[in-house]
Amino acid sequence: MIPFTVIGGFLGAGKTTLLNRLLRADTGRRFAVLVNDFGALDIDSRLVVAHGGDTIALANGCLCCTIGDSLVTTILALLERPDRFDHIVVEASGVADPGRIADLAVLDQRLVRDGVIVVVDAGSVRERSADRRVGDTITRQLAAADLLLLNKTDLADDLALLRGWLSTQSPAPVLEARHADVAIDLLFSLPRLGGAASAEAPDAFASWSYEWAEPVERGIVLGMLRAAGVLRAKGIVRFVDMPARRSVIHQVGNRLDISDGEPWRESETSRLVLLGLKPMLGSLQRE
Amino acid sequence: MSTVVYPARRILTMNPNRPSVTHVAVRDGRILGAGSLEELRGWGKFELDERFADKVILPGFVEGHSHAYEGGVWKFPYVGYFDRIAPDGTRFKGLKNIDEVVARLRAHEKTLAPGASLLAWGFDPIYFGGRRMVLTDVDRISTGRPIVIVHSNFHVANANSVVLAKAGITRTTNVHGIVKDASGEPTGELQEMTAKYMAYRAAGMEIAAVLSDEQAVWRFAKVAQLAGVTTATDLHNELPESTVEGYLKASASDDFPIRLLPAFAAASVPPAQGIPRLQALMKKNNDRLRFQLVKIVTDGSIQGLSARMRWPGYYDGTPNGVWNVGPDDIDRILLSWHSAGFQVHIHTNGDEASEVAIEAVERALMAAPRWDHRHTLQHAQMADAGQFRRMKALGMCANLFANHLFYWGDIHYAKTLGPERAERMDGCGTALATGVPFAIHCDAPVTPIGPLFTAWCAVNRLTASGRTLGEAERISVADALRAITLGAAYTLKLDEELGSIDVGKRADFAILDDDPLSVLPETLKDIGVWGTVLGGKVFEAPRS
Repeated sequence: MIPFTVIGGFLGAGKTTLLNRLLRADTGRRFAVLVNDFGALDIDSRLVVAHGGDTIALANGCLCCTIGDSLVTTILALLERPDRFDHIVVEASGVADPGRIADLAVLDQRLVRDGVIVVVDAGSVRERSADRRVGDTITRQLAAADLLLLNKTDLADDLALLRGWLSTQSPAPVLEARHADVAIDLLFSLPRLGGAASAEAPDAFASWSYEWAEPVERGIVLGMLRAAGVLRAKGIVRFVDMPARRSVIHQVGNRLDISDGEPWRESETSRLVLLGLKPMLGSLQRE
Repeated sequence: MSTVVYPARRILTMNPNRPSVTHVAVRDGRILGAGSLEELRGWGKFELDERFADKVILPGFVEGHSHAYEGGVWKFPYVGYFDRIAPDGTRFKGLKNIDEVVARLRAHEKTLAPGASLLAWGFDPIYFGGRRMVLTDVDRISTGRPIVIVHSNFHVANANSVVLAKAGITRTTNVHGIVKDASGEPTGELQEMTAKYMAYRAAGMEIAAVLSDEQAVWRFAKVAQLAGVTTATDLHNELPESTVEGYLKASASDDFPIRLLPAFAAASVPPAQGIPRLQALMKKNNDRLRFQLVKIVTDGSIQGLSARMRWPGYYDGTPNGVWNVGPDDIDRILLSWHSAGFQVHIHTNGDEASEVAIEAVERALMAAPRWDHRHTLQHAQMADAGQFRRMKALGMCANLFANHLFYWGDIHYAKTLGPERAERMDGCGTALATGVPFAIHCDAPVTPIGPLFTAWCAVNRLTASGRTLGEAERISVADALRAITLGAAYTLKLDEELGSIDVGKRADFAILDDDPLSVLPETLKDIGVWGTVLGGKVFEAPRS
């Protein structure tokens, strides 16, 4: 299963800065990044191992592809490539609705919709959202976000006011940054359940793991998932109200998917991993 | 170096110095002269060819906004409301209700290999006036193979249960565009990109490949030629190698009946890449194939509820549409291509989109002044007098979507634009009065290719229900004929080479059964097309 993330946000918000950071980061994961224009990316030429027309392959296993006229065709072609990659990230155009692009994950069973991250320019978003020509585009983008990356916070006149306004535009959790410098793990999938934590684990965030031998009350789990500060969650849980099935939990920011799938295997235990901002997570109880 | 003189019942030249003559002389694929037999004798020996003696000759029609994938869709059954002519000249009768569509496809379905998918196109339920097509309708055609029925606007499709099952579309599928009924079940109607693609994939259809294979451009050329067209555009194409090869191969053949102008999709690659690519392609130009046009798409479409409008927006309150290339991107793209000397065609449907495009052209001209750029707004359906004045001042052209008046005029009047704006939409009258050079078009396959019909739309402004949509914007037959010949040629920078019957121009003619200036304006669309002449070569239309 390949997670499918969309990075949206208006022109100049910092999408490219974020993608540059992603491509340079030592994540241990191979990202396939789909962009509108290579030229805007800041790829160290020493890291390029292959360059073929609309694709650049990097030494760290990452791929960059240009989107061209048809995003659908590009995504499907990417899936047919022999190269292996672990995660697809699509850069939405500055006027696109990233939520619609995230829908494309349904096109192939190998893809799983991971999240819509909308990058917001703290210095200009209020003004842009009042612009008669692009205001509704901005509003749609904010509403589509699972996670908001409030960027260029040093340019905001009144950050608290801005955050208040932002909360009226979208229920998504907000991460702040000046140069799109947010921990990559906060934006993309957690490492596999039970796997080692990523090398990049600054003080800002923490992850909490839970395990249950017996079936769990759905309400308890939902309460944990909705706790303030929880940005991502992943788990396979056996609920009291559905003990015969594995309930697969996937949460990115504001978007929660619980799918009830295959039969529960007796040898399994319920497991849940939450990732969020440290100060807030501290309030959660460990089981 | 032989000369042929064609006498005709009448020759309408589009040359104001001698607008109507009786004879035209052709040498080496070009017009040697047009006038009386006596005047033409002076050129020396000639052969008199009287096959057009009782016909009326016009300059070959120029279709300034069409798409070659019109040829692609003709591989599949047509199920539209209106009659339509296929590339081989067959007339397909329009289907008037869901039952007739189902019956036609049930008959067609029996001719397909077991399990093969069925794709149909041109479906237009808005004319049925009643319920939408649902799963049970399409399942009546067959539940033994995937079936996808594409609507005429190409944005919506109806699928059968087989497709939904293969695509995994159920009541819990949470994707925008999957239409569900009151109980939450998918109806089989799929709107917009993701939903449609789910259907195509499930049906195993490689849509892009199918729509632009080599046969497609031949079918497109034939459909155009049947309508009297000698020059046509393919007005938005990424121009991948395979497509370019196909176009080069087709145009190298003397049997290819049109001159084709593809337009490069400017937003598909950054200008720094696109410009050298198009410049290299231009070196491959030949008489029947010209790379030179560039296309930018700003918004969506009015009837697709995706046009970008100024206040007060959609008449029925639909939220404003979406940008493809928006206000912050258009400057960068346009300036690059403009500075490199190209002519840019900009799709704009809503009036906010045309406003943005006009402003972008103005800024481009301030940054890089240029003479005679002729950047053209395509569709420009909502452009009003003020915008036409600005276009005139900036040296821009307009290609107006006159066919919309017939096909969607009633919808615009009642739902999308309201009476006032519908009555001034596709304002040929205002364009003419303001002095903006303009053409009129069909946007095939969205509407059928047929310049006489398009001219009829501009002259009569009659909707499908028979309402006249704005008496004041009607233009004369003479002006409409000019718009489909020299006017369109001007918007393609081909006006010195073709578009009128004048010494030195290409011998491209439309051969008609009747004189458009002598028939009643209401019957303009019914004039028969005998065939065309392209560079002196005669192409007779097959009679069905």
